[in-house]
Amino acid sequence: MDINFEPFVEWDNSPFVLFNNEGRILYLNHSAELLFGSVNPKELYDLTLAYASAGFGYKTTSLALSYDAFMFHAITVGYENEEEISLRLYHAPAVQPKSKLQTESLIVTDINVLLEANIALFQAENNNPLKLLTDQDLPLFKMDQNHFSKLLRKVFHSFRSSDSIDISLKLLIGQHILINNKKESLAGLKITANGRYVESDEEIKELAGKNQIKAILKEHSILLEIPLIQ
Amino acid sequence: MKYFYTKSEQIQSIIKGLNLTKTLFVSSIIIGPEYTGKKSLAQSIFPHAPMVSGEDQEKIKTALAGSDELIITNFEKIKNLNDLDFTNKRIIATANYMGNSALIDDIFAFIYTMPPLIQRKEDVDYLKERYIEEAKSILMIENSTIDTEHIPLDLSLNTKSLKRSVYTYLIKHTMEAGDIEEILYHYLLKHLEGNDAYRQYLGLYEKPLIKAGLEKFGSQLKLSEILGINRNTLRKKIHEHNIDQEL
Repeated sequence: MDINFEPFVEWDNSPFVLFNNEGRILYLNHSAELLFGSVNPKELYDLTLAYASAGFGYKTTSLALSYDAFMFHAITVGYENEEEISLRLYHAPAVQPKSKLQTESLIVTDINVLLEANIALFQAENNNPLKLLTDQDLPLFKMDQNHFSKLLRKVFHSFRSSDSIDISLKLLIGQHILINNKKESLAGLKITANGRYVESDEEIKELAGKNQIKAILKEHSILLEIPLIQ
Repeated sequence: MKYFYTKSEQIQSIIKGLNLTKTLFVSSIIIGPEYTGKKSLAQSIFPHAPMVSGEDQEKIKTALAGSDELIITNFEKIKNLNDLDFTNKRIIATANYMGNSALIDDIFAFIYTMPPLIQRKEDVDYLKERYIEEAKSILMIENSTIDTEHIPLDLSLNTKSLKRSVYTYLIKHTMEAGDIEEILYHYLLKHLEGNDAYRQYLGLYEKPLIKAGLEKFGSQLKLSEILGINRNTLRKKIHEHNIDQEL
């Protein structure tokens, strides 16, 4: 029986990449295409070589990897000749927030007002040029205003020495999150600059977690995925 | 309603930030040295908010129970912060110094720094003019020939020392001979004692006389003529009061 396995690999949820012996990509499945938005091929090729078995064959290793929002708990590296080598990455299960969000104590808020107040606070202490592109039509949503403002203060503070800062706030069309069994839309607040301080990253992640926000921290940017709790 | 005047860009940003939080339930704190206008600023933006001092913890608790909005002054003086719940309240606090920075960072969403007057030259000019007008009115000074351009301004205690500089300058520059006599009378009544007091206290009159004379007439020769004393006597007195070292 001759079975074509390629469509199964193509539509597998785990990213699969086939490299040649110079690190060039010979094949990648749909899931790997998405992953390449967050990591460069060279980094994955280096990872593949580092975890390859000593001789021909397949080796699975447990390790924690994270590329932006992608998190993996294991990889399989395999090769049967000197020309091609494959990498398969296994998604880590999404961690459910430990504490249930008490939505009753949250206050309906216009995020643009909070954002502007935080920009004013930032400008009282810093002279950095700042550009804001915001969606004024974002719906009002519920939040703990004090916690959320603290998160914004910490996020802005990490850009205190950056030369030019771009802020954008927009609805993440088609993206949702389940909070207390209710589907909520998401907005993305992204701050980008030529660099930033990272000493408060852990605190930012913790504060974001308290607000049910996903914080994606990179060398030059911070993206907050904010649930628009109704 | 109180109006807070400032030309400082930093304070204008603070005002903008506080104005934007007028409808939000967030905690803000303004930290800066004494007499920089923190309390006036908070009151000008939140005119209806009750105001309590951090020295009176019980009063703060009562105010928190009865109001969603509260100005707390001298925040650094609160002894037990764990006792207070600011959840979903609009708190505007002022403090003369940061104190426990980790705790401040934990409680407050907005932490503003109030710059001292020495960094706000334009505000100093404005306040100086305002205090001059105020002092002239209170002290009933009608003399408009006083030189107010060169008032030596003391900014070590911000508005407090600035105001004092203006008032003392105006008082000193509007005195009549009778006032000076009266001041000397009270001073001597308090301090006069010893066995060489005549010579000792004569300096109170002689020193300003010679200093002002030298500044006004330029030379000792001319001044000795004006004063009608011998040049050698004048020179001796200049030396005796160390005026030659001061000029």
